[in-house]
Amino acid sequence: MNQFVLIQGSSEELNLFPHIIELGVIKNSSIQLNAFPKVLMQGVKFFYVLDGKFHWYIHDGEYILFPGDVAMILPGQEFGSSTAVLEVGSFSFLHINADLKDADEIVLDKWSSLSGNEITAISKILLLSNPLIITKINEAGRIIKCIHQELSNQEVGYFARVNNHIDELFILLTRQLTRQNNPGRDFHKTFMKLDDALRKDIAHQWTVDEMAALAGLGNTLFNEKVKSYTGFTPLNYLINIRISEAIKLLKKPQVSITDIAFDTGFYSSQHFSTTFKKLTGFTPGEFRKNNSYNE
Amino acid sequence: MKCIITIELGTNAVRIFAFGLNGIAIGSMKGYYPTFHTQPDYSEQDPEQIFITMLYVLKNLMNEIIHPKKYKVASVCFSSSMHSTLAVDKHGVPLGNAYTWADNRAKKEAIEIKGSSIADAMYSSTGTPLHPMSPMLKIAWMKNNDQEKFLQAGKFLSIKSYVIHQLTGEYMIDYSLACASGILNIHKVTWEQEALNFAGITTDKLPQLVPVFATAGTLKKAYQNSLGLSADTKILIGSSDGCLATLGAGIWNSDKATITIEDSSAVRVVGNKILHDEKKRIFNYLITENCFVSGGPSNSGGGTFEWFAKQFGDFATAYDLESCMNSLLQEATKVSIGSGGLLFLPYLLGERAPIWNPDARGMFFGINIKHEREHFIRATIEGILYEIYSVGKMLAEHRNISALSVNGSFATIPFCTQMIADMFNKQVYVTKNSNSVSSGAFLLAATEMGIFKSLDEAAGQIEIADSYSPGENHHHTYIKYFEIFESLSNKLGDEFAKIAELQEKNQ
Repeated sequence: MNQFVLIQGSSEELNLFPHIIELGVIKNSSIQLNAFPKVLMQGVKFFYVLDGKFHWYIHDGEYILFPGDVAMILPGQEFGSSTAVLEVGSFSFLHINADLKDADEIVLDKWSSLSGNEITAISKILLLSNPLIITKINEAGRIIKCIHQELSNQEVGYFARVNNHIDELFILLTRQLTRQNNPGRDFHKTFMKLDDALRKDIAHQWTVDEMAALAGLGNTLFNEKVKSYTGFTPLNYLINIRISEAIKLLKKPQVSITDIAFDTGFYSSQHFSTTFKKLTGFTPGEFRKNNSYNE
Repeated sequence: MKCIITIELGTNAVRIFAFGLNGIAIGSMKGYYPTFHTQPDYSEQDPEQIFITMLYVLKNLMNEIIHPKKYKVASVCFSSSMHSTLAVDKHGVPLGNAYTWADNRAKKEAIEIKGSSIADAMYSSTGTPLHPMSPMLKIAWMKNNDQEKFLQAGKFLSIKSYVIHQLTGEYMIDYSLACASGILNIHKVTWEQEALNFAGITTDKLPQLVPVFATAGTLKKAYQNSLGLSADTKILIGSSDGCLATLGAGIWNSDKATITIEDSSAVRVVGNKILHDEKKRIFNYLITENCFVSGGPSNSGGGTFEWFAKQFGDFATAYDLESCMNSLLQEATKVSIGSGGLLFLPYLLGERAPIWNPDARGMFFGINIKHEREHFIRATIEGILYEIYSVGKMLAEHRNISALSVNGSFATIPFCTQMIADMFNKQVYVTKNSNSVSSGAFLLAATEMGIFKSLDEAAGQIEIADSYSPGENHHHTYIKYFEIFESLSNKLGDEFAKIAELQEKNQ
């Protein structure tokens, strides 16, 4: 593939695709100083290494990328070379417009056909993985190449095709990431990671889809594995964590019961109260009364 | 129909069993809770999650098994893993997480007391080796490193005492679990002043000491209602997992020893005398008057083999870890005794008995050009069991052991059981009930109800499912390798310390 760069605003291929900021291939045959400084990323950028070896700073540290590797940079993350040097080698890249909502959800515009739930799950996985380096994934390079071809040839249906390819890239990388992060031989480790993610965001309305995706498993196998490992279904295990956290908060008189309900992920104080009572025999109010002390 | 429920608050999970009064299990359920390792040497669990998980599992068992079959629960008997330490404020509210048995943060305190003039006296009064696992040292650690928590603490509890306090409002601990705290004087059965001094506490900071048969108060009304248990359901304090696994293995006042190998392992004997070991390597837990469980715990076991399987197992064809371990075991059988002279020291997690060296590390020794993959597999298993043999050998210095009873998921793998018989050159029995802790808790509760006259008689009820005889001359072959294993374990002290230090620095 030859070197090229399409830029939003100046390349007419991108006129129908306002969400694509840049698409290109860089082939660099000699070291260039000050050509690759660290910048704060706006939007989401994908890099696919074709050739050479790159020392890049991604988000919070220095990493080495080899041919076949993908680096994905999310909005607000720092990216570039610590020495600002562009090393010898080649890579393709795709830069698209996307924002972070509430620091935990990637917002893609209407062009994407991913559903709301799917985007939530993908965002969770991408944001929890650090760094976002996916190794040995030639398929990603092929997709970026296809996007370029569609844009150049403009055959019938290319508008839909280009956008589908970008969705496909998100799906491919997310799936590969969960597999890479969760080698099948160690479910204990996978489960501890999941447990940690649940605890860090216990207020979130977790779905089984999201949890299964984080564990890098399909829903059916995930349910089965969690049940045999913990004795509980994934959602019931989650209830254990929610109620344990709620108990700690109930023992602190200054937090209101409604706040506790929402902070621990129940969708209403009624839902909290029913679940709590079913498990402990006490309503949250009664439990608090039994465990409150006048100093 | 009456039944007995046993609740085991284990290392990773709570296991609840229901038994008919005839000792046949009606049903069982488990619930997992996580262990947090926020720093090297730290190993913590959330007491609230343990409590809620226990409650949830118990409720499910009641609703799915006990109530539909119209059983009436006569008593609920508790057991738990040893050495857990939890500080609660004066109202019983936890001050953070509990430290588990595997928490080694009190290393310095252990070194300090081991080198002090009171070390010998402490071991003979408490009967417990001086090791960071001991709650006495964990409390001392809090005193030295977390003053705020230490001063705010109204009580220092075990996980079991905390769970029971939630259920009944009583602060209690049984003798056997109290022994594991390193604070109990096992001769006088009172808290030992010297240990209290070292921990920096007074007796009012500890729960009330009671016998293993004691009733730990009455279940709170709300729990009676939500679980469907009547007010006269006895809540029995019970004992520790180690003591009950021994009872459940049918070993009581005999010249047999029991070997438990799960993730980690232990070898234990029961008798009417405390085993006083000059080198302070043997623990002694008081069960009932003049009845002691003595032995040594090892950090290696099934967990060590699992580590090997994860790193070197073939996952291309294996569906999961279990099937991978099974195919490794298959491969191991292709190699003859002694693994062609390849030795493995299983000290991946440091070691307790018999070398009591937290810095010990694992190694393969004697590798030559002919060794293949299956030699390493077999050597790993042999190494784990040589370590068990060395714990047994330590006990044999004090007590004649004529036969063995094994339990636990690793020890009961036929290949391993046979290897144990060969190494020890003794008859090995496998009991019928696979979960010996629960069986032990049932026997304790049944004895309390008067179904058996004594624990002795109760232990006699345990049925043997299988028996393994040592192969001719196998012991002889193993022992030659074991001698090298043993001398390496003792010789490498300096190198262990140096490598452990480097590993800690480079974490």
